[in-house]
Amino acid sequence: MFGKKFAVVALVLAAIMVITSCQPAEKLAKELNWNLGTEPPTLDPALATDTTSVLLDEQLFLGLTDFDDTTEANVVPEIATEWSVSGDGLTWTFKMRKDIWWVHYDPASKKFEKKRLVTAHDVEYGAKRTINPETASDYAYVSYIIKNAEAVNTGESTDLDSIGVKAVDDYTVDFTLEQPAGYFPAIASMWVNRPVPHEPIEQYGDLWTEPGNIWSNGPYALDTWEHENRMVMVKNPHFYNAKNVSIEQINFVMVTETSTAFAMYENGELDVAAVPLEDMDRVKADPVLSKELTIAPRLCTYYYGFDTSEFPVDNVKVRQALSYAIDRQKLVDTVLKGGQIPAWSFACKGIFGQVADNPDFPGITFNVDTAKSLLAEAGYADGAGFPDTTLMFNTSEGHQKIAEFIQGQWKEHLGIDIKLANQEWGVYLSTLTEDPPAIWRLGWCADYPDQNNWVHEVFSTKGANRPNWTGPEADAFGALTEAAAAAKDPDERKKLYFEAEKLLCVDNSVIIPIYYYTTVRVDKPYLERTDQLVGGQHFDVWKVKAH
Amino acid sequence: MGRYIVRRLLWMIPMLFIVSVITFAFAHAVPGGPFNREKPLPAEIIANLEKYYGLDQPVWKQYVDWFGGIVTRLDFGPVYSSRSRRVNDIFADHLPVSAQLGILATLIAVGIGMPLGILAALKQNTFWDYLGMAGAIFGVSVPNIVLGPLMILIFALTLGWLPVAGWGTPAQMIMPALALGTGSAAVIARLTRASMLQVIREDYIRTARAKGLGERIVMVRHALKNALIPVATILGPMFAALITGTFIVELIFAIPGMGKYFITSITNRDYPVVMGAFMVWAVALILANIAVDITYAFLDPRIRFD
Repeated sequence: MFGKKFAVVALVLAAIMVITSCQPAEKLAKELNWNLGTEPPTLDPALATDTTSVLLDEQLFLGLTDFDDTTEANVVPEIATEWSVSGDGLTWTFKMRKDIWWVHYDPASKKFEKKRLVTAHDVEYGAKRTINPETASDYAYVSYIIKNAEAVNTGESTDLDSIGVKAVDDYTVDFTLEQPAGYFPAIASMWVNRPVPHEPIEQYGDLWTEPGNIWSNGPYALDTWEHENRMVMVKNPHFYNAKNVSIEQINFVMVTETSTAFAMYENGELDVAAVPLEDMDRVKADPVLSKELTIAPRLCTYYYGFDTSEFPVDNVKVRQALSYAIDRQKLVDTVLKGGQIPAWSFACKGIFGQVADNPDFPGITFNVDTAKSLLAEAGYADGAGFPDTTLMFNTSEGHQKIAEFIQGQWKEHLGIDIKLANQEWGVYLSTLTEDPPAIWRLGWCADYPDQNNWVHEVFSTKGANRPNWTGPEADAFGALTEAAAAAKDPDERKKLYFEAEKLLCVDNSVIIPIYYYTTVRVDKPYLERTDQLVGGQHFDVWKVKAH
Repeated sequence: MGRYIVRRLLWMIPMLFIVSVITFAFAHAVPGGPFNREKPLPAEIIANLEKYYGLDQPVWKQYVDWFGGIVTRLDFGPVYSSRSRRVNDIFADHLPVSAQLGILATLIAVGIGMPLGILAALKQNTFWDYLGMAGAIFGVSVPNIVLGPLMILIFALTLGWLPVAGWGTPAQMIMPALALGTGSAAVIARLTRASMLQVIREDYIRTARAKGLGERIVMVRHALKNALIPVATILGPMFAALITGTFIVELIFAIPGMGKYFITSITNRDYPVVMGAFMVWAVALILANIAVDITYAFLDPRIRFD
C-alpha cells in the first residue's frame, strides 16, 4: 500500500523533473515582422540586381559560398565544403555538401515535399542560365570572368557548353576563368551563380518563382506573395541546419514610406525599422527608442565625380582644391545626422583591399589652406576669375541638401560660386552618359565585398568611363586594377588597390569621396540579430524572444 | 437613349486610340530608357534586354505590336521592372484594391458632402451654415499628405484603435478611405450648397410652392434634383480618379493600389505600364462621363438625348 503510494509520488516527481528540464532556457516567439520597403522586382537569382531581391534570395537559395556576419564579411562555406584553385590560378574546384534538398512547398496544403538533392549539375545549370543571352540577365557581366561567358552572353558564340563551368561529378564543380581572379570565392557566393532547379523553370517559365511553383533549398520557403502588399516565408524543415533555425515564419510587408514604417514599428507591427531623418532627434532623445537605435556601417559610398575633360575641372589642382575644401564631418553632423563616416577613398571599410581606415593612406581630408593654395596655383587665387561650373545631381531632397551644403563650403573656403542643377533620375543617367556636367553625384554599394567590384568595375577606363579619364595616369590606374584582379597573393592585391585608390582619389582626384553610408535603424529589444553587410540578412540564425 | 449610349461607347474607340498614340509618343520622347542604371550596364547586356522585350525593333513596330497585343489578346505587355509579371497582372492585382478604396472614398465624399451642403443651404447664414462651411474649408485646405499621418498619429499610435497601415482587413480600410474621401466631401459640400442656393431662388420653385406642395416635396423633388446637376458633373471625373488609384494615400498607408504605378512606371521608363495605366484611367474617365451625361436626363427633364 505504502509502496504503491510512494511509487506514484515518485513517478509524478520524476515527470515534473523531466518536463521542467525539457523547458528551454528562454521562451522564443516564432515570427519575425520585416519591412522590405518595396515590391521585390524578382525572386529569380539570375535576374536579381537590387538589395530587396537579394535579401529574399538569401532565404530561398543557398550559394556555394557565403559571407559571415562580421564587419569584414569574410567568405565562408555554404553549399561548398571546401574549394581550391589550380596552380595557374584559372580553375577553381568546389566540393559540395550532399545533404541539401530541393523542396517544393504547397501553400494551399501547407505541405513540404522533398524533390531531390542539389547537385553540381544544378550549379552548372544556374551559372549557364545567367550567362545565356536568352535569360537577359542584368548581372550577367559579373560572370564575364568565367571562361567564354562574355562570348556567349554577347552572342559571339552560341555554344553554351564552351562556358567554363562544369560538373565534374554530382558533388564537384569546376569553374574555369578567363584570367586568374583572387576574388572568385566571393563571386561564387553571388546570386547569379547559385544553383537553380531546371524542372520548375522549364515547366513555368518566368512564373517559376511564384508561390506553389517554386522549388528552393534555403532555410525558408515561399508561402504567400501578394504583390505590393506582403510576402510570407515559412521555415523549411528539410533545410540541412533546420534544427538550429528558430524563427518559423517571416512576415514581410512592402511599405515604401519610411515614416509609415516607423509608425508601424512604434505600434509593434514591425520588429525592425529604418529611422526617418526627421525623427532622428526625437529618437535620440527618447529614453526607450534611443536604446533600440543602432547605427551600423553599410558597404556604400557617396561621392562626386568630375568630367575631367571639361574646363576648369580638367585641371587636377582645381579638382584637388574642391576636394580639400569640404568639411565632411560638419556635413555629417549638421545635415546627415546618421553617424555617416567622412570618406577619403572610393571603397569603404569591409571591402577587401580598401584603404578607408588605413592610417598610411594619404587621403584628402578637410584643409582650407591646402585648398586655397591649390586653387591659387591653378590660377584662381581667392576664386577670382573662376569660370561658370555646374554641380548636377538627381532630383531628391537629400541630395539637394548635401549639394547646398557643399556649394556653401566652396563659397566660404574658396570664394567660388558653383551652380547647382538637378534632373529626374532617368534623365540624369542619360545626361551622365551623353553630356556629363563638370561635377556630378553618384553612389556605389557593394555587390560583393572586393575592390574589383569597386575601383575596377565602376571606374575601369574601358567601361563607361563617366569621368572621361584619359592619359598615362588613367592607363596606369587601369593596369593596376587589372593586375590586382589577377594577383593571387592577397597582400600583393592590397598593395595594388592602395595605389589605384591613391591615383583615383588623391593624385588625380577624379572623384571626391564624400561619406561612407550607415544604416540608421531601431531593433525591438526582444530581437536577437546579426548584421549581414552584403548579400542579405541571415534570418535563420536570428531569434525573437517572447514578448 | 439606348442608341445614345451605343454611340458614345463607339466613340470611345477612336478616343482611346488617340490617347494611346499620345501616351506612347510622350513615354518614348522622355530621355533615358528602362535599363539605365547607376553602374552603367555594358552595351551587350542592354542589347540582350532590349531584344528580350522587343525594344530593338523600330518604334512604329513597337507600337503596332503593343496595340496589336491589346486588340487581339487583351495583353497589355510585359513589365520591365518585374520579369514574372505582366501589365495584366498589375491590373488584376491592384485595380480591385484601388476600386474598393475609391468606391469607399466616393461614398464618404457623397455621404458627408451632400447632406452638409444641403443643410448649409437650407439654413443659410445660421450657425449650421458656418459650421458646415468651416468643416468644408478644413477639408479642402488640409491635404491628405497631412491628414493621413495625422490620423495615424491619433487613431493608431495614440488611441490604438486601428492598425497603422497595410491592406486586407476592414480596419485597415477606414483611415485611407477617410483621408481620401474628406477632401472630395468638402468640394461636394461647397458645390451642393452653392447650387442649392441658386436653385431655390428659381421661378419653378416658387411655382411649386405656389401650387401648394409641401416644403419637403419642393426641396427633395424639385430643388435638390436640379441642384445635383453640377455635383454630378464633378462626381464623374472625381470617381474616375479615385478608383484608378491615388498616389499619396496609397504611399502613406502602404496600400497595394494602382496609384503608385502612374508615378513609378514613369520614373522607371516602364513603357507598357505607363501606357496601360493611362489607358485604364482614360477608360474610367470616359465611362464616368457617359454615366454623368445619362444621369443628367434623370435629374433634369429638360435634358434629352435623341
